[in-house]
Amino acid sequence: MGQFDSVMRNEQTRRRFLRSMAVAGGMGVLAACRKDVQSGGGGGSAASASAIPPITEEAGELKVHEWAGYEAKWLWRNYAKAGYPDPEFSFLTNTEGAIAKTAGGFEWDVTHPEIGYIQDYYDLDAIQPWDTSLISNFPKLNPVLSEAGKLNGEQYQIVLDWGYSGVIIRTDEVDPSINSYSYLFDDELAGRISWFDTPWILSMAHVTLGLSSDPLDATPEDLQTAKEYCIEATKNLHSIWVDYTQMWDDVTQGNIWAAYSWPDTYVVLKEDVPVQYVKPKEGVFTWAEGLILRSDTENYHHAHEYADAWADVTVGQRLVSTWGYGHSNLDIDLSQIDPDVVEVFGLEDPEGSLNSGILDAYQPQRTEYNLAWDEVKAAAG
Amino acid sequence: MATEATTDDHPRVTASRPRRSGKWRVTSGLLATPLVWLILFFVVPVVLVGLYSVGALTLLRNDVFLSMEKWRFFFTSDTYVSLFWKSVRMSLGVSITSVLLAYPIAYLLALIAGRRKYTLLLVIIVPFLTSYLLRVLAWRVILGEQGVVNSFLETVGLVDQPVEWLFYSQFAIYAVLAYVWVPFVALPIFVSLESLDEHLLEASSDLGASRLYTFRTVTLPLSIPGVVAGFIFVFIPTIGEYITPQLVGGPGGFMFGSAIQSQFTMGLNWQFGSAMAMFLIFAVAVLLAIFGRFLNVRSVAE
Repeated sequence: MGQFDSVMRNEQTRRRFLRSMAVAGGMGVLAACRKDVQSGGGGGSAASASAIPPITEEAGELKVHEWAGYEAKWLWRNYAKAGYPDPEFSFLTNTEGAIAKTAGGFEWDVTHPEIGYIQDYYDLDAIQPWDTSLISNFPKLNPVLSEAGKLNGEQYQIVLDWGYSGVIIRTDEVDPSINSYSYLFDDELAGRISWFDTPWILSMAHVTLGLSSDPLDATPEDLQTAKEYCIEATKNLHSIWVDYTQMWDDVTQGNIWAAYSWPDTYVVLKEDVPVQYVKPKEGVFTWAEGLILRSDTENYHHAHEYADAWADVTVGQRLVSTWGYGHSNLDIDLSQIDPDVVEVFGLEDPEGSLNSGILDAYQPQRTEYNLAWDEVKAAAG
Repeated sequence: MATEATTDDHPRVTASRPRRSGKWRVTSGLLATPLVWLILFFVVPVVLVGLYSVGALTLLRNDVFLSMEKWRFFFTSDTYVSLFWKSVRMSLGVSITSVLLAYPIAYLLALIAGRRKYTLLLVIIVPFLTSYLLRVLAWRVILGEQGVVNSFLETVGLVDQPVEWLFYSQFAIYAVLAYVWVPFVALPIFVSLESLDEHLLEASSDLGASRLYTFRTVTLPLSIPGVVAGFIFVFIPTIGEYITPQLVGGPGGFMFGSAIQSQFTMGLNWQFGSAMAMFLIFAVAVLLAIFGRFLNVRSVAE
């Protein structure tokens, strides 16, 4: 039924788009989009093995649409070592933009969205499931994360890197025992709180208030309550940070006592400032992202080799110890990692840590959340 | 036959025809490139955005085919209409501040600096050879809580605690944007003042007018076209500004431009973003028409 829905949605999208193109007849600027929407054929079904040429017959120039910084060679060293040509990287600045570009005909073989956006690519008919038997490192990956990369029982995403969206606090100013997302709304910290520009703040307000519905897919009443709570709390804000390093500076200088942050803030600041990374008692929001495979890729096997390189334990080891991000490979040698980082990430029991948090997921009400978030920001100042 | 008769009757007309035709060809040839450029990179994109806003073009799954829904939502939403007026206020404030700061600079350069005026003009423009973001972020070092101004105020004992409204505030938005735009306003005013007929100033002085009276009745009115041009130079881009307010404005830095950007980058709500962008274009056009009429630029210039 779900698949039928999806097929219907895709068909409607295609028809609607073709009608649009007729209206805009002659506007060749968007002509490429039609090609793309029509050509995406794999979404929702595994590629036929017989139709896939062997790796020796593939073009081999893998097009990777990546986050800036993720093109670093150590992240795909085994792929390079195997003698494949270096991938051709293009960069995304946000996933929504990447989805729109994909809808508009932008070509890639592999890209790296958050797990909450696989459904959007699927709806565009732009992705196909991975053949996990071609990825030797796949069995070593965290099953909780791999499960999150599935749609309709098929592995559409190889989930690799992950992290928390918790709160960094100055322990000389804030009581760590409260251990809650309430730090981000607390009147007692007025003028010393910093949010990140994300609708997840609404979800954090939702769990702080103990509302009953799903914080990522709230009922209209709960979303309204969370929004009003956030609007009320805007008076306590120091800033809504957009520049990560600027937030780090503000925490270091004591201008900010509690901020929405990812664990790398803790890794960077812990030597110089009394800080603690809080994974709130309500359950820490957890983002995860990984590689998805283009439905009409001409580099099917190369893409799998690339994903396998990313999934290697050496990559995980370095990603965790230097970037302060989590990696889904469970064979990471914890004795080589800073004990504080092991504790923050709960790496002793990564599956348990992830299960106790609130893992990112597709948000069917994303538009409603974004409009509510706009209202919150508009109400500030 | 009739044509020949006309030609014979009016030899001067016939003689001037090839020259006019050649001139027309040169003019149209010169205009063609900028016109094509303008059509391709301004008119066509604006038309596409307009079509997208009403669903005549759709690309994403949640786009609504041929619908005014997003426009209706915009006009019935207090949030976005209020944000528009917030941006208008900011833009007006920044434009006026920039003009007030730029006028003395332009006056100094055009009428007092003499031979050094072009060197000084260059000095004003030099900071603009660096990155826009760097110039904006540098203000954090000046206005931040541990910045130059606060450190000075604390050192001389004027304040005990850092002045918080200097940064992450509306004041910071105005100060930084005015700094960014002052040179762009100074240039058209400079051009107006430089082309001023000095005999008019001499005549005013000969007739016994004070320097202030001369400025008020001769210099200022004749430089109004430059002032208006400078004002518009600032007003148009700043009304859609979102980067600077986001970087220095703190929680209050969310503007109409930010809301448009958010629809494209955060919400996958291109149709609504397009409707807001089109509204902004219409609104700026209307506001400029009103300014033009109110300020009566042409009559002043004449």
